[in-house]
Amino acid sequence: MSYLNALRLHFAGRFQANVSTVNNDPGHFDNAAFQPAYQQMEGPRMNPANGWFNPQGDAAWRILGCAVTSAFTPAGPAPTTDPIHGCRVADSDSQAPAKMVDLDPEQQLVSQIWGLQVRITTPDGTTLLRGDFDPAAFIDIWDRATVSQGGDADASAMYQSVLRGLVWGDVSTSPFLTALQASAATSGLLSIKFNVDAFNLDYTSPEFMTGRIVGTIGPATADEPRHMVLGRQLMASAGPAGNFFLPAGGINFCVARLDDAADVVFLDLGNALFTGQDAEILDIGDLSLGVYDLRTPPASPPPGGVIPLATLPAQGPAGYATAGWYARTAGVVALPVPASLRPLVERSPLVISSSAGGKQFSIAEAPSGLFVRADDFVVRASPGDVVVRRIYATRFGVRAAGLTLACAADDSQLQSQVGSGPPYVMTSPPVGTPTDVLQYPATLTTDAQGVALLAVTIGDPGRARWFNGGADYGIDGQVYGVRASVAEGGDNGPPNPWNFISFLVWSGFSLRVPGAPTWHDDLQPIFQQYANLYPVMLRFLDLADVESVARNQRLLSLAFGLPPEDPNAMPVTRDLSPAKRAAILAWLDGGMPLGTPPAPAAPRTTPAADPAATTPLRGGKALAASRRLALRSPR
Amino acid sequence: MIHLKSSLIAGLQAKTPSADAVIAALRQAVKLEHATIPVYLYALYSLDEQKNAAIAAILQSVVVEEMLHMTLASNVLAALDGPSPVGDPAFVPTYPGPLPGGVEAQLTVSLAPCSPAQLAAFLIIEQPEDPLHFKSVPLTEPDTITIGEFYAAISRALGELPASAFDPSGKRQVGPDLMDGAVVVTDCASAQAALQIIVEQGEGTATSPEEVDGTRLAHYYRFLQIQKGRALVPDAAGGWAYAGPPIVFDPTGVAGVPRDPDQPPYPPGSAEAFANDTFNYTYTSLLFALRDLFSGQNTSAQLNRSIGLMMSLKGQAKAMMAGIPNPAVLTGPSFEYRPTPAA
Repeated sequence: MSYLNALRLHFAGRFQANVSTVNNDPGHFDNAAFQPAYQQMEGPRMNPANGWFNPQGDAAWRILGCAVTSAFTPAGPAPTTDPIHGCRVADSDSQAPAKMVDLDPEQQLVSQIWGLQVRITTPDGTTLLRGDFDPAAFIDIWDRATVSQGGDADASAMYQSVLRGLVWGDVSTSPFLTALQASAATSGLLSIKFNVDAFNLDYTSPEFMTGRIVGTIGPATADEPRHMVLGRQLMASAGPAGNFFLPAGGINFCVARLDDAADVVFLDLGNALFTGQDAEILDIGDLSLGVYDLRTPPASPPPGGVIPLATLPAQGPAGYATAGWYARTAGVVALPVPASLRPLVERSPLVISSSAGGKQFSIAEAPSGLFVRADDFVVRASPGDVVVRRIYATRFGVRAAGLTLACAADDSQLQSQVGSGPPYVMTSPPVGTPTDVLQYPATLTTDAQGVALLAVTIGDPGRARWFNGGADYGIDGQVYGVRASVAEGGDNGPPNPWNFISFLVWSGFSLRVPGAPTWHDDLQPIFQQYANLYPVMLRFLDLADVESVARNQRLLSLAFGLPPEDPNAMPVTRDLSPAKRAAILAWLDGGMPLGTPPAPAAPRTTPAADPAATTPLRGGKALAASRRLALRSPR
Repeated sequence: MIHLKSSLIAGLQAKTPSADAVIAALRQAVKLEHATIPVYLYALYSLDEQKNAAIAAILQSVVVEEMLHMTLASNVLAALDGPSPVGDPAFVPTYPGPLPGGVEAQLTVSLAPCSPAQLAAFLIIEQPEDPLHFKSVPLTEPDTITIGEFYAAISRALGELPASAFDPSGKRQVGPDLMDGAVVVTDCASAQAALQIIVEQGEGTATSPEEVDGTRLAHYYRFLQIQKGRALVPDAAGGWAYAGPPIVFDPTGVAGVPRDPDQPPYPPGSAEAFANDTFNYTYTSLLFALRDLFSGQNTSAQLNRSIGLMMSLKGQAKAMMAGIPNPAVLTGPSFEYRPTPAA
């Protein structure tokens, strides 16, 4: 099942991710060194860096102008008479916009969408389907654009999740939507996947903080993962260059699924193919889908070792490199498999290859066909919690039972920095320390469903990321990475750097006087930090001013009391620990006592910006990616 | 003083008016109570609150009460099982234009940044039938009624309805647990009490500028303080005087946004159009959320969704008007019906 299905619709349009960028620099979390300029727009080429490229962002994540571009049923394309053609895909028309949120300033590469409601509507906005999107993080970010606009504008990434709480309008006039509704009758779920790229960083452009979104909606079953396809995983090797990830074979990570009902492979190339001029898909020659002939060792296929199955042309009416193809298909194609080859396809690696301009392009499944991934790969947790994540294992797209998995710390994709330098105002705190905070088994075995439950006992990282040698309030808790992989030998293909679980572990928090939070003794640094990092809040109140906070007591009690799934939850960043949240709510409801003001401390100063300094990278993700530990100490 | 077309109450003049006629008038009342909110919000969000804090506070306080009035009228409507007009495409007024049901020749209401002229228009909107210390405006126009007369006619007609016309359960009512000052309408008496609050908060009583609860000024006098330059406070003689703290309008603390921003519309594809379209989608979403709140989803969760949309609307408006992200682009929100996202 999943969106990668004979029953599916595709949509295309734009999205907005109006994130705030003051928190892109971990040094901006240092209240004692914070400068008013950090809330101002950056200068040309980040000189000065100030609050980076969108300091006034409100974190809103919106679906803009999205149209259904095609729809399919097992019988083929939905007839043109089906009113699904002309429908729109929109976000909520009855609650505040969704929010996009980094996990942490030192793990900015799993940004999640929270509080998103997705609708399918008639052209005039009448709701035909409404569903709540399970919060999800992006994955498989890569350097997609070959005509560079710089930094984040060149990147592409994908989101996959499910819609739940489905509310259907009258879809009786649309056979397609009727079939989609029927598909969800048991699970109450739909699967949704979309790719985002071509992000605009020019604040003078009408498209500032927006990008292209192209996606697919299809069925979902209750027992399959929500954020990944149980399918054939084509694995890219890292090329030598690139900022995010540049696949050596010129094709990014992608997934295919051999259909149970028909001799068809559904292949999702939506986040796998380079773009060229005008962000159209780049022509890298006709793409050939093949399968390794098991009679030859797949790790070193001799010429003739790949049996071709089907071809996706670059040009012509169905050509992937023609205008409109990407919007129309979201990169999803159904390719026929000769019935006689189906048994081979079921147990041998798939490979996609092409050639153009004297260059070879290819991507293939691991020779072992094994793949392991956590479904939900982002964790926020507090000391004492036991967090469980479901890890799915497949072999050639089929659930792999009894497989031994290895679990180990892997902080290599987290982002920190040794030595300060523009545009960062100071050396960032280290990540992954102390190292004994996460406790989990080193090995796991998958059950009959190919699932292993990774249970992680959470310890207390203490003041691992406080500033000034641990004396000054800092970034709460610590970030960690844990990677699950196939423990057994054999050629399991190149690792996907993004395939690991990111943890934000909050520190323990205790009040100066238990049960009696006060502003000065306990809460002022928390509010000061939010006031510093999110100047957007000044449109409503001054979080650094206790009188302003007190005047807005009711609104704040409401917003801090909302669950994180609510688009109005405060803080928008979802980075407030439950312990601190409880203290704030108790204080707001308990008369808001001031406590004892601390002795005034002299603010520390940070080095002045280097007037000659510029950065070649544009955007938060690009700079974060350039600071990954993996780049500092190649494995 | 706003004059409404007398045709609005034509259906109420019968000796035994029908429930449908009362419902139609109440739907008109909900429209009317909403219609000033975008106008006041446009002025409010145009203000730099550092420079015009007192005026912003006055506008904010009036908007909160207009919201209550919309709720009170909606409660009476819901008690009669009348469908809420909130969120209908025709619910949103056209600016510039008369207030819903208003006499067109009399006052054209515009979306405009805060200014003495706009504040003068607010005074006309809120002027009582018989303002204290002011000469009464003669009622010369035929076929017109005042807002007070409009509500009096509804109130009288409510009294003519059979008791069975009212839902006694209070099931679809937005009560004081959700909104300060709200009245749960279950019968004629509570319905009339709800409408009385609307009139008195707007106009004050016949003898005092205070609202009926005696703690806050009626809207008209709140605005008049700005024109007078001082807060209206009780004086030593037991009366009232504009002798309180100064309330001074600082014209440098107003965003340079256009009057009636959709005249002409922002160019398609422009940053202004994008911000405005997104604002209008949020505004329309808020109306949908309020419609649901007034139509049986009278839960704190639904109220919170509505508040969340109000906050989103405020944040967007203040950013648009303040030139965020591009100081060269100042955008005024046009408050138009838009049930689809910006393109």
